[in-house]
Amino acid sequence: MENGWIWLWFVLALGGLLALRLWARLRPLARWRRWRALRERALFEDALKHLLTCEHSSRDATVESLAGSLGLSQKRLPRLIARMEAAGLLRSHGAALHLSSEGKQWALRVVRAHRLWERYLADEAGLPIGELHHAAERAEHRLTPEELDALDAHLGHPLRDPHGDPIPTAAGAVAPLEALPLTDWPLDQPAQIVHVEDEPEVIFKEIVAERLHPGMSVRILERMPEYLTIYDGQAEHRLTPVVAANIHVAKAPEGPSQPEERIRLADLADGEEAEVVALDPDCRGFSRRRLLDLGLTPGARVRVELSPAFGEPRAIRVRGTLIALRREQAVHVCVRSGSRSGGKTQKPGVSRQ
Amino acid sequence: MSDRVQTLTPQDVLARADELQRQLGGRFRDKIVESLYHEAEHIARRAVHHRTDRHWDLDQRIDRLVTSPIFGMPLMLLVLAAIFWVTIAGANYPSELLATGLFWFEARAVELFNAWGVPWWVTGFLWHGVYRSLAWVFSVMLPPMAIFFPLFTILEDLGYLPRVAFNLDWLFQKSGAHGKQALTMAMGFGCNAAGVIATRTIDSPRERLIAILTNNFVPCNGRFPTLIMLATIFVAAAFPPAFASLAAAGAVVAVVLLGVLFTLLVSWGLSRTILKGEASAFTLELPPYRRPSVMRILYTSLIDRTLFVLWRAIIVAAPAGAVIWILANISVGGTSLAQHTADLLNPQGVAIGLDGVILLAFVIAIPANEIVVPTILMMYLGTGMMIELEGFEQLRALLVDQHGWTLLTAVNLMLFSLLHNPCGTTIWTIWKETRSRKWTLVGALMPLGIGFLVTFLTATAVHAIGWI
Repeated sequence: MENGWIWLWFVLALGGLLALRLWARLRPLARWRRWRALRERALFEDALKHLLTCEHSSRDATVESLAGSLGLSQKRLPRLIARMEAAGLLRSHGAALHLSSEGKQWALRVVRAHRLWERYLADEAGLPIGELHHAAERAEHRLTPEELDALDAHLGHPLRDPHGDPIPTAAGAVAPLEALPLTDWPLDQPAQIVHVEDEPEVIFKEIVAERLHPGMSVRILERMPEYLTIYDGQAEHRLTPVVAANIHVAKAPEGPSQPEERIRLADLADGEEAEVVALDPDCRGFSRRRLLDLGLTPGARVRVELSPAFGEPRAIRVRGTLIALRREQAVHVCVRSGSRSGGKTQKPGVSRQ
Repeated sequence: MSDRVQTLTPQDVLARADELQRQLGGRFRDKIVESLYHEAEHIARRAVHHRTDRHWDLDQRIDRLVTSPIFGMPLMLLVLAAIFWVTIAGANYPSELLATGLFWFEARAVELFNAWGVPWWVTGFLWHGVYRSLAWVFSVMLPPMAIFFPLFTILEDLGYLPRVAFNLDWLFQKSGAHGKQALTMAMGFGCNAAGVIATRTIDSPRERLIAILTNNFVPCNGRFPTLIMLATIFVAAAFPPAFASLAAAGAVVAVVLLGVLFTLLVSWGLSRTILKGEASAFTLELPPYRRPSVMRILYTSLIDRTLFVLWRAIIVAAPAGAVIWILANISVGGTSLAQHTADLLNPQGVAIGLDGVILLAFVIAIPANEIVVPTILMMYLGTGMMIELEGFEQLRALLVDQHGWTLLTAVNLMLFSLLHNPCGTTIWTIWKETRSRKWTLVGALMPLGIGFLVTFLTATAVHAIGWI
């Protein structure tokens, strides 16, 4: 029995020591404080964003509109406004709330964080466009100014986010968007989508479902009172005017981006030879860098050499080396089929100079 | 001049830089790469003379053969099977030799210590505990690794391995992974830690993480002996003698295939849930075939492997040996600490078709999976040191007749040794490769969770049917 007591004390002492170690390691109190601070920052920043949005659409933000946007109770909101006023971030004129210049600066920084993060997720992480917004809503409150600058530099100072919205600079400058809604664009003129509105979400989901995104070249085929038909080079889309009004277009750039003229590396037959024209503008970030590093630059000659039993991936000879690409990569390479030597009939290995 | 310089403040410079940046557009990186390639092409055209040479033709013919829809797969399976056979068959004798030598040394050392009058517990702790476990790990692991890895490196040098990845990519593409994962898995058969390191060749972060987290689902050299022993004693015994060895081999192959299946399933699950938002791009270079420099490979990999196994034995296996000896030799109330713990773990063990002793052995063997069976035998025999029995008959008598092992115990032990946490070295390697506490934890606990689930289900199903 004595042994049992010794055991019990031993286990208790060990447990106590472990608990102490864990407490020292995890520091739950400090964690809780940090979490509180983060939540407060998020609340401030969401309020600032709301005020900035109102300013852009030239309407006055009010206590009610702020309450609706933040989902805060009428009891907590006045306290928040008082704190923000004390911090010099906003001024109230009667019922209307206005951003101070400091407040505006901060709000622009949050917008910058949001759009840069979306750009990062789309380019480097390959997240689908429909999931970007929610992820960025969380991350925008966590990034420090230094992290933002580093991210900006890492992404090569992008100008627009994946929806086409301009990304403010560190100094707070915003490049204006020069575009027309699709509803106002003339028939049959080639256009490029430069912006899709991500709010309201219902309409944005419809745009995503149609696989329309900035950078695409489109043409309006038909305009009816109830709908609009557009063509993107591969398929036709029928859009209601409400949806079309949330898509902004501008004049298409000159060059090989005309949708009809594109043949993809993935479309070539076995043994066929071609010349790279360009990389698809949709292919960005990490996967674009990889394709460029492999030497798939404009002017390079490529040839499909091997296809295994299940059709994928295919081995492609480029610049004297053999690389394997899956279909999802090969569709990003636009080629001009320059079968100088007639594909399959040609003896392998002779065509290289 | 001087006042122009004065009027230009840092803010002006930054604003100007911003403005210029905006004019640059997003494609300047493309332009840089293009100009680099252009320049390189220019230089190459002047400096390199091409001739239409037969070497190209040969390479392409070999490529057509090894990636052909008809011969590609069988050829690959043949090569892999040959490597496994050579490893297992070739490692047997040197393993035995090493073990004999090392254990002879232990016996002499113990005699010497006894002659000097050193207390029994010092001798026991140092020689039967620490040294024995070290010797065990060293003799079990070194020969197969010293055979397997050079063969693998030769195939890689030859240029064949990228073609294997090419052939198998469709399978991994479906599960959201990279074709090169086939290679890291094959490395995992040698040693999971080496397999995890080999994932460095996968260049997209998401696919690399998948390969790291699932590498443990292929059984390594340290776990193969356990599988082979169980298959021989239990599965083979259930068949007529003529088919016995075939059945045993079939059971081992089935376990391996199950591991591959779990790899694919878990890869699929990971790539659709927690690893959805990570960068991914598939590219695979197929280098020209070369003649491997066999002597250099043999030399370097023999040195490398010996050092690695020795380091591992000292760092992880020796402390484990110390713990085992302490647990087995300190008694409280007449029973050893090990037996107390085993009794504590027994309900959980029984629930998944095993028993407390086996679970304890898996806990103790976290640093090195090779010592699972020796630890189980030590506990059953109450010897106070790890031990191996000569001959399968004796083993069978001990396990079946004295400790009530059934076919279910054997099958679940095989399953559990396939699906449990990676060994300490592998966990450490995952941490070193990912530098992330989260992924290390996932890599360690996810297979364990799956193992518990699968064995629990099989045990429950078998009990429910009333088969055992």
